[in-house]
Amino acid sequence: MRFLLALLLIVPVLAQTTPPTAPPQDQPPASAAPAAPAAPAAQAQATTAAPAQASADNPAPTAAENFHGSIDFGYRWLTDVHGSMDEYRSVVNLGQGPKLFGLEFSLLDPNTHLFDELDVRAYGWGGDPYSTAHADIRKKRIYDLSFDYRNIAYFNAVPSFANPGAPGGVDEQSFDIHRRALSAGLDLFPGGHFIPYLDFDHNAGSGRGIETWVQDSNNEYAVPTLLADSTENYRGGLRIEYSRFHLTLEEGGTTYKDNDQASDATLLAGDNTAAIFGQTLSLSNLQQAYGIRGHSIYSKVLFTSHLASWFDVYGQFLYSEPKTDIHFSEVANGNFLNISELLFYSSQSTMGTGTDNQPHTTGNVGFELRPLRRLRVIESLMTDRYHDAAAPEGLTALTAGNYATATLTAPLLTPSAFTEYVNYNQQQIDVLYDVTNRITLHGGWRYVWGNAETLAGELSQTGPFVSGQLKRNTGIGGLTYHALDKLTINLDFEGASSDDIYFRTSLNDYKKGRARARYQVAKALSLQANFQVLNNQNPAPGINYSFQSRDNALSIFWTPDAAKRISVMGEYDRSTLSSNIDYLTLPFLSPSVSQYRDNAHTATTAINLALPGIKDGKLTLGGSMFVSSGSAPSRYYEPLARVSVPVCKRVSWNAEWQYYGFGQSFYLYDGFRTNSFITGLRVTQ
Amino acid sequence: MLRPPSKARLALLGAALVAIAARGAQDKPGAPAPQPAAQETKAADNKPATYVGSETCQTCHEDIFKAFQKNPHHLVETDKKYGHTTQGCEACHGPGSKHADSMNAADIRQPAKLTAAAADRICLSCHLSQPTHVGRINSSHAKNQVSCVSCHAIHKNGPDGLVARKPADINRQCAACHTDVWASFLRPYRHKLPEGAMSCVDCHNPHGSVLPHAMQTVDSNEPGCFKCHGDKRGPFSYEHAPVRMEGCTACHQPHGSANPRMLTRAQVGFLCLECHANLAQPTLPANGTMGTIPPGFHDMRQPRFQNCTICHQKVHGSYVDRNFLK
Repeated sequence: MRFLLALLLIVPVLAQTTPPTAPPQDQPPASAAPAAPAAPAAQAQATTAAPAQASADNPAPTAAENFHGSIDFGYRWLTDVHGSMDEYRSVVNLGQGPKLFGLEFSLLDPNTHLFDELDVRAYGWGGDPYSTAHADIRKKRIYDLSFDYRNIAYFNAVPSFANPGAPGGVDEQSFDIHRRALSAGLDLFPGGHFIPYLDFDHNAGSGRGIETWVQDSNNEYAVPTLLADSTENYRGGLRIEYSRFHLTLEEGGTTYKDNDQASDATLLAGDNTAAIFGQTLSLSNLQQAYGIRGHSIYSKVLFTSHLASWFDVYGQFLYSEPKTDIHFSEVANGNFLNISELLFYSSQSTMGTGTDNQPHTTGNVGFELRPLRRLRVIESLMTDRYHDAAAPEGLTALTAGNYATATLTAPLLTPSAFTEYVNYNQQQIDVLYDVTNRITLHGGWRYVWGNAETLAGELSQTGPFVSGQLKRNTGIGGLTYHALDKLTINLDFEGASSDDIYFRTSLNDYKKGRARARYQVAKALSLQANFQVLNNQNPAPGINYSFQSRDNALSIFWTPDAAKRISVMGEYDRSTLSSNIDYLTLPFLSPSVSQYRDNAHTATTAINLALPGIKDGKLTLGGSMFVSSGSAPSRYYEPLARVSVPVCKRVSWNAEWQYYGFGQSFYLYDGFRTNSFITGLRVTQ
Repeated sequence: MLRPPSKARLALLGAALVAIAARGAQDKPGAPAPQPAAQETKAADNKPATYVGSETCQTCHEDIFKAFQKNPHHLVETDKKYGHTTQGCEACHGPGSKHADSMNAADIRQPAKLTAAAADRICLSCHLSQPTHVGRINSSHAKNQVSCVSCHAIHKNGPDGLVARKPADINRQCAACHTDVWASFLRPYRHKLPEGAMSCVDCHNPHGSVLPHAMQTVDSNEPGCFKCHGDKRGPFSYEHAPVRMEGCTACHQPHGSANPRMLTRAQVGFLCLECHANLAQPTLPANGTMGTIPPGFHDMRQPRFQNCTICHQKVHGSYVDRNFLK
């Protein structure tokens, strides 16, 4: 990627060395741009029209006209991270050092044979956890080419997550990986109506982590792992676009591989250090490897048709069939316990093979009917059918320490082959009526139904499979009101009743409402308010699920005098969530209620001030804060101050301070705080 | 409680739709889409307005004209495919002769003043025949009167001319309406949108999708989550049913959470046991029967059993172990 970065830096430099000398072909000749008369519209836009007129008089583009861009680079310092460094890396993960904060440029050159327009942007290079690059290259009526690259670092080792009862001492379930994603797409325009295209995606994750090796329920050992997976996606298709209809045909395929490994050669006591029958359990050596290979083909057919002025039809057919070939091996040595036979043994090896085939079909068809000028009827029908045929086979051999020749062969872990399915269907009809140009009413009905059968848990008392059904009716209502040009109100409501649902926590009998209003108080001042509520109830015996969430948000935007001296943006959000559900506490299956509460205040603001006496100098104050109470009371503050001062015509100096402070009331050891300082230059063209 | 419609009701509905359709066909067979603004514009005389060409518009709207030259919509002006050669402005604003004569804004169609549906109809006269709009029938934007021009700037030029393309700009645009959603991204455990590493459209298709919540699709019909989290897609020999049946949101708050791993509960044990509730009665209730079995036998009072995923670590699905241990 360093080469890519170098290329991104070099291209704008080269671009400036070839200023075009001829007028662009797409622009009209100078004679076609007569001086504008003093029309009302022109007078109203005199400020912007003046420079435009100057350009129109001299249509030959200059390098400055063709090339626009900026580069933003500098250095970041961090003060010492007080508190949990692991938590800081899990939440923020910014580091010190020289950084390329941003690079953006556009090159418009209609005179070249290669392209008309080149747009490039890149952010966060130089070791930041989120490095991205994007390029679009276009030649009008010839091609459209795009690249996107992202390298995102994921670090997660939250002390309280692994084991709330023993923080710091148990570090299972942590990882330090990078996910890299590359996408490329090419659209060709050989004719007016046929558009072939090709796309490629690559997504890969690699890095280190800590997982657990589990020896039944007797003990588990934290072991280091190497994580490596990648997915490639290839697809190509043809879009056929006519004024009355469109059809897209696409064929694609994916390949997938997962080469995760775990190994350990140190003596580990595990989480269970208590002696069992006078012996302590241990793991002395582990070699574990996954060799997962997957491939898939898929097909896609999309169409839209404008059959008549009052009738549009839409539809799509989507099909994919991913398959997986499984190879797994594991050898573990130590002192282990087979508790069902009360036998200690010293070695365990597991071989796993298998295949899995998962055809997945989705169809969607609908129409929009406009029988009257103010009336729209939108009908849609969707089906999603996912089937799974698995043929896993595993064999575990246990070698007893005192009986070196004895091999205990475990039975097959599961049925040798089985199938599962999930079918989902949805029918929805919406009627929208424009009562006036300012009021639109919306009503509808949605019916969702489906069925599923999946493998039950190994200790299921009701057979190897479990099945369920889904049946839900939902009524829909809404109103959009544009009162004057300054006030917009939008109301939405859904009320649903379910005969069958899959899970205890699924949406059952629920009501969902949303109100949104935006008011332009004055030219420089606008307000927006959002309200949302969801209430879901499942009163079935043994469940008694009651869920309610509310969210109230208020925003203000104040930009007096076109934000020349000051602009203010502020948002405040108040959310509450309450959930109660019955469950049985282990190990005595005593009835209990699982309660979860989350009452949060969130605020963000940005105040931009023009620095007095410094032309184009700007000071920004703001940041965000999050404070919550309830089941996970937390505080997270990110205030910032940023100053930008022009050094010369194209260069400005930027400096930024940002504070990161995180704390949790229940887990004080999770907290951290640090200050970040940035200084750098921004060069613009 | 609402019930599915009977066949008789469906037949009645179908007949009504056919009758309405027939009426529409009689009214305006093959006629262009109704243009409310044009109809509502009271012309000073009965002579219909005619096309005058973009150069006439340029005389007054020089800045817009110039910006439009570098806007993707300039193709309308130059490409014969759209039938508006040299009439780019009037392709959306309608014939402009009367407006050119009177300089009165009321004498020309102003999409910004139309209802969202009417304004969209102008855009869709070209863009309906594109794959972007296949999901439109399910689009909550369309059903909530959020018109195309709410997000797309038709006249602007430059790389962000038609629509925001930089992640930070996209997020700002979406957050301008979805302020409550943006507040979730200010929680400590979140997808990295405030950092500019991602944008809303990485996961959502604002034009609509076959999936709920306008979720993007990947590999034809898989949820867009799997584009980045490919290792969670499978297919696994042992699928965890909620992943397929309820999606990632069964356990995660994808926008942001106060809980590690963006989980919906502060402690993993509660998240698991709310479904795996070990119901004791032999006959399970109708609503919410799946996932209640098997009964757990761990002593949840011990710290080592309080986070189920310490051992059941392949909770998204396992290739080799039915209990998601490896």
